[in-house]
Amino acid sequence: MRTALAIARKELSIYFTTPWAYAVFTAMLAVSSFFFVNSLFDFQRAQEMARTYGWDRIPQEFRNLTDGVMVPFWSTVVMITLFVVPFLSMRLFAEEKRNKTFELLMTAPVRPVEIVLGKYLGGLGIITTTLGLTIFFPVLLTVFGKADSGSALEWSTVLLGYGGLLLWGATCMAVGMFISSLTESQMVAALVTFAVLLPWMLLQGLAQATEEPVRSFISYLSFGAQLQGLMRGVLDLKAIVFFCSVIFFSLLLSHRTVEAQRWA
Amino acid sequence: MPMIEVQNLTKRYRERVAVDALNFSVAEGEILGFLGPNGAGKSTTMKILTGFLPPSEGTAKVAGFDVFEQPLEVKRRIGYLPETPPLYPEMTVAGYLKFVAELKRVPGRGLRAEVERVSGLTGLADVMGRVIQNLSKGYKQRVGIAQALLGSPPVLILDEPTEGLDPAQRAEVRGLIKGLAGKHTVILSTHILPEVTMTCEKVLIINQGRVVAYDQIRKLAKVHGGKAENVSLEEIFIKLTAA
Repeated sequence: MRTALAIARKELSIYFTTPWAYAVFTAMLAVSSFFFVNSLFDFQRAQEMARTYGWDRIPQEFRNLTDGVMVPFWSTVVMITLFVVPFLSMRLFAEEKRNKTFELLMTAPVRPVEIVLGKYLGGLGIITTTLGLTIFFPVLLTVFGKADSGSALEWSTVLLGYGGLLLWGATCMAVGMFISSLTESQMVAALVTFAVLLPWMLLQGLAQATEEPVRSFISYLSFGAQLQGLMRGVLDLKAIVFFCSVIFFSLLLSHRTVEAQRWA
Repeated sequence: MPMIEVQNLTKRYRERVAVDALNFSVAEGEILGFLGPNGAGKSTTMKILTGFLPPSEGTAKVAGFDVFEQPLEVKRRIGYLPETPPLYPEMTVAGYLKFVAELKRVPGRGLRAEVERVSGLTGLADVMGRVIQNLSKGYKQRVGIAQALLGSPPVLILDEPTEGLDPAQRAEVRGLIKGLAGKHTVILSTHILPEVTMTCEKVLIINQGRVVAYDQIRKLAKVHGGKAENVSLEEIFIKLTAA
């Protein structure tokens, strides 16, 4: 496993020495801050309306900052992640193949499973950093916000929500890594990853057009449906198992692809 | 027992035969010069020996281990410099060599010493802190050679190691490879024929995937030289690969 860690360290050091990672960080923060301010503004308006018309006429979720600001914020971060991950995952294998460094990995005394795990760990590191940067917003709310019951946010819910967000990022990364292992071109890897993740996310909409047994099956497979609970900061075991299986199968397929080099 | 043993090795890409029933063996400590025109199948053969590509037919053994059946045992014993040095342009030379040493499972304690030893051998000591993409072609090639030498593997497979070097550096690398004889078994492919005469005892010449000559340089000169006393390897090469 030492070699897997060496590969993960190498991936991270390359991410952080090229401008890519910083461009992605900036994009993530810029876009998410825009949506954060937006949901904060919505929340404020709901408060004002509540003062005029009474709380009965205002939706439940606007009673506290966690449900009123963080939950809508996470659902936008989920979408930004979907756009950002292909740019991070595309280089994992495609770049090695194009640069001919894949030959180095494949002729070193390293097993394919170590290559795949090392690369995935590196990918996890970079997506965790990207998503971790957005924790700045709930911290801001805690510092400047006040609630009758003490802290402005329920941090247990916030942390669960971030756990779900990381699981989502890890899933996108695993799918993206597998697609990157199929091609030499980073551009193709990014495009295909996006073309797989987005429809998978929106599968729920397709389900509406079908009849019952098929409908619940398709919406069960949809990322969007599975994320609903997690993105409200709920510990949804079924969804956790679902995402872990997607990660597992993507890693398995990546391993097969690397292993297949030996048979080509 | 020969260190490298290749029997009936064949590689086909769909219809095209890249390597056709190759047979040769290299004894321990020997340096074999591997020659042939561009596209003759040299690089393919080397890729099979290092376990990067599978053979279509036949077997290749390194230190008694089959490259296809026991790839890890083989890879542990081989240092390989591919045609294009496998470098990460964003990394520094020191960072890169450390990474490769870790890949080759050089034990943690000896790692720094090993990187220093190899960078000394290849004359990289002055550029250790520089980013690889800013190095000249010659230095990049040397980093590639250094990478192959890490961990002191008993077998070295070098695909055109002097490519892109200037005459002085070429002489240095030649000296370095000559110094490896005895301790390491080396297969060396090159286009520069005088280089082979200077470093290798034995040559293997292939053309269109087939062996056209496989012998000691002295004997080849005798067989193909005819009446001329001092026939050069170049003339033999052109004669054999013209067909």
